[in-house]
Amino acid sequence: MASENIKNKNNEDYEIDTLTNDRLIKDHSYDGIRELDNDLPPWWKWLFYITIVFAVVYLIRVFVFKSDDLIQEQEYANEMENVATAKTAKSAGAAEFHVQLLTDDASLAAGQEIWTKICAACHLADGGGLVGPNMTDDYWIHGNTVEDLYNVVTNGVIEKGMLPYKNQLSDQKRLEAVSYILVKLQGTTPANPKAPQGKKY
Amino acid sequence: MELQKFTYDNKLSRMFLYATVLWGVVGMLVGLTIAFELIFPNMSGGLEWLVFSRLRPLHTNGVIFAFVGNGIFLAVYYSTPRLLKTPMYSKTLGQIHFWGWQLIIVLAAITFPLGLTQSKEYAELIWPIDVLVVIIWVVFGLNLIMTIVKRRVKHIYVAIWFYIATWVTIAVLYIVNNIQIPTSFLHSYPVYAGIQDALVQWWYGHNAVAFFLTTPILGMMYYFIPKASNRPIYSYKLSIIHFWALIFLYIWAGPHHLLYSSLPNWAQALGVAFSIMLLAPSWGGMINGLLTLRGAWDKVREDPVLKMFVVGVTAYGMATFEGPMLSLKTVNALSHFTDWTIAHVHIGTLGWNSMMNFGMIYWLAPRLFKTKLWSTKLANTHFWIATTGMLFFAIPLYFAGFTQALMWKQFTPEGYLAYPNFLETVTQILPMYYLRAFGGTLYFIGLILFVINVWKTIAAGKFVRYQEDEAPAKPAPKPNEAWHRKLEGKPLQFTVVALVVILIGGLVEIVPMYLVKSNVPTIPSIKPYSPLELEGRDIYVSEGCYLCHSQMVRPFRSEVERYGEYTKAGETVYDRPFQFGSKRTGPDLAREGVKSLPNYKPSSWHYNHMLNPQKLNPESIMPPYPWLIEKDLDVSDLPAKIRVLTSLGAPYPVGYADGQAMKDLQAQAAEIAADLHNAGIEVEPDKQIIALIAYLQHLGVDLYNGDSQTQLSNK
Repeated sequence: MASENIKNKNNEDYEIDTLTNDRLIKDHSYDGIRELDNDLPPWWKWLFYITIVFAVVYLIRVFVFKSDDLIQEQEYANEMENVATAKTAKSAGAAEFHVQLLTDDASLAAGQEIWTKICAACHLADGGGLVGPNMTDDYWIHGNTVEDLYNVVTNGVIEKGMLPYKNQLSDQKRLEAVSYILVKLQGTTPANPKAPQGKKY
Repeated sequence: MELQKFTYDNKLSRMFLYATVLWGVVGMLVGLTIAFELIFPNMSGGLEWLVFSRLRPLHTNGVIFAFVGNGIFLAVYYSTPRLLKTPMYSKTLGQIHFWGWQLIIVLAAITFPLGLTQSKEYAELIWPIDVLVVIIWVVFGLNLIMTIVKRRVKHIYVAIWFYIATWVTIAVLYIVNNIQIPTSFLHSYPVYAGIQDALVQWWYGHNAVAFFLTTPILGMMYYFIPKASNRPIYSYKLSIIHFWALIFLYIWAGPHHLLYSSLPNWAQALGVAFSIMLLAPSWGGMINGLLTLRGAWDKVREDPVLKMFVVGVTAYGMATFEGPMLSLKTVNALSHFTDWTIAHVHIGTLGWNSMMNFGMIYWLAPRLFKTKLWSTKLANTHFWIATTGMLFFAIPLYFAGFTQALMWKQFTPEGYLAYPNFLETVTQILPMYYLRAFGGTLYFIGLILFVINVWKTIAAGKFVRYQEDEAPAKPAPKPNEAWHRKLEGKPLQFTVVALVVILIGGLVEIVPMYLVKSNVPTIPSIKPYSPLELEGRDIYVSEGCYLCHSQMVRPFRSEVERYGEYTKAGETVYDRPFQFGSKRTGPDLAREGVKSLPNYKPSSWHYNHMLNPQKLNPESIMPPYPWLIEKDLDVSDLPAKIRVLTSLGAPYPVGYADGQAMKDLQAQAAEIAADLHNAGIEVEPDKQIIALIAYLQHLGVDLYNGDSQTQLSNK
């Protein structure tokens, strides 16, 4: 380590590190490791002060003012209240919805997408059924009309494990899925069809 | 002044060096394996010992305690005697420490694949191994402190401060977090339950990062950077300030792992505030490391050792900038439960911990074996491959985490979740998992180059077992020393002060969680688990389901819509251990059993899904768990389990453990088997799957069974 001895104006001995011209601390040597007498970098000190101020303000906002955005139950209540207001405004203007079989390609393609993403988890992608019933045969447990199927998808059959989708899929999307079943899946031959359930139509 | 002669024994340094290299390879190989398992879910081939959820704890514990751990001990056993001018206090204690630690690692590598775990992250080891860890840690501490006592220098150097803080704090954290009551030789329940257990665990978990992955590595940095660069430490004053600020502030930050959980707002707020204040003290370490290299940057260009150190310290700075940012609740609302966290921790581990270990060993190996590094060029290649690998690992995961978080929160204009099917959000980010595995592969290739280089260096040299040194006897203290300088001359007092400083934060946060009733408001409908559900829960814990599935619905519209009512502190009171999880590779399961909610699945679905997840969801990345269907449920410990839980306050009827519990278990199992039979599935009621289904079908049910007006704040 390059260093040299210098005397300051009070005639005290001190050493400097010649590569940086910083002052070395006397007697600080550990297995040859020396330490410089540098002060804390000012930007570092300011960073520390700012974070402390932030922390204090933050804690005061939580403990003293109980600010809405920092008390999570309140934050949640506010989020839900905003949504409720928006929903009421929207439903007032919505047109009446008709449950009618869709046969156009766009709707059926949309229906297929929903089928693969959601329904297939229990009824399998080819509709052969596994946990849920086979959707390709002529046997139905809860009826075979578009209204019957729409009703099952909307409200579910909880005791049998079929979930209600009214809070997950819009009216239109539920109808698309149901139309896909009736138009596309009905009458096909799946790889491993589940045994018929319900009554033949 | 008369010089005293003494000798350093390098034997333990050599042993720890070998262990570091060996466990580095093993730990990272397991990590690479599980990175590929996330892309190829059937890679485990139906073998229970190789499934992701059992290997993941092996990876985390392996790299933390085996790779980094042995590296820390290497640094301590090499630098401490030289800094204190005395040999290590006891060779015998050193040997016990070394072999005891390796035994612990081997036991971990056996027990985790067998599904023996406490399920607390980085504290998964079962209780008999915990006892061994504590014994070995005390042996290490005794050896360290007695060496300090016998020193020839008056003052202890900053590296030693960090070693001392590491030792006392890890001792406190490890013991407190692992207080468990055994039900058998291999199983136990924690004395803490639910949200309290979670707070203690993350006080531990966060500070394992602080006091195992940070403070000892800073100690390592303070010795090896000035040695390798032959430069003085930038600022002694900065050392003092950042050391004390760091150890005092760090211990408070644990609750930032539980933001938006059912932890009370006051505790979360403390976690946030102290995490923000940690930024400057952490960066104090970084700048003291980097600025020490002033005047040596020309060397950094050529020397792979210094290059490794520079990237290591810079990665430390990046990770400790990101940490406070992730502690802000708005950022955490996005990052938590996603791959963002995985990216963040790997900047710390691949960047900081590993690079520091590599740099140290590249510097030490030639010195311990009195030769030159076999190939500087190869070491430089390692450096570039490792740096690139780290970026290929982390950047895709940042992107994945951010993307998935936004998808979880996205609503359609009609007010429905845009991606109601969780799997869609996984499929979307799967390409990022491929890139991560590629980055991991690069990093591992770099590691192999490191092993070759170290091996060749050792083969070319001759081990220097004993090194002579000399120093004057310990001088008397000088008068008029500054207060901190005085403290540096009194290591035992120094240790006590450090202990007091690290105890404050933990006490302020943890004690009120026990003493103040309002922190965990009682929910009357929450009942203890039935015997079968309890056994099913223990299977859930043992298989490591919590590693991919959380049980903590946060109070956001998007989560309540997707999963159901957000999690309350009072519903966790019988959860030993808590199962909040920290990552959602799959959906949250806190409400899995509630029939009116979107995630409900019939028992037959669970049966089919455990057997072959891809049959139900072709794109699913969940591995199969076929053994759950074949293996019998072991109920021999049921009475002991019920007794332990009763002693911890679960209100089972008097004498329930002796007879009635088993009858109830069998009755419920028969019910589930009958339910499956009705769905066309034949399975004996004494199989593990039955218990697991019982548990899954119970999740969230008690909360929804209660008075909906008072318990459920919405709907």
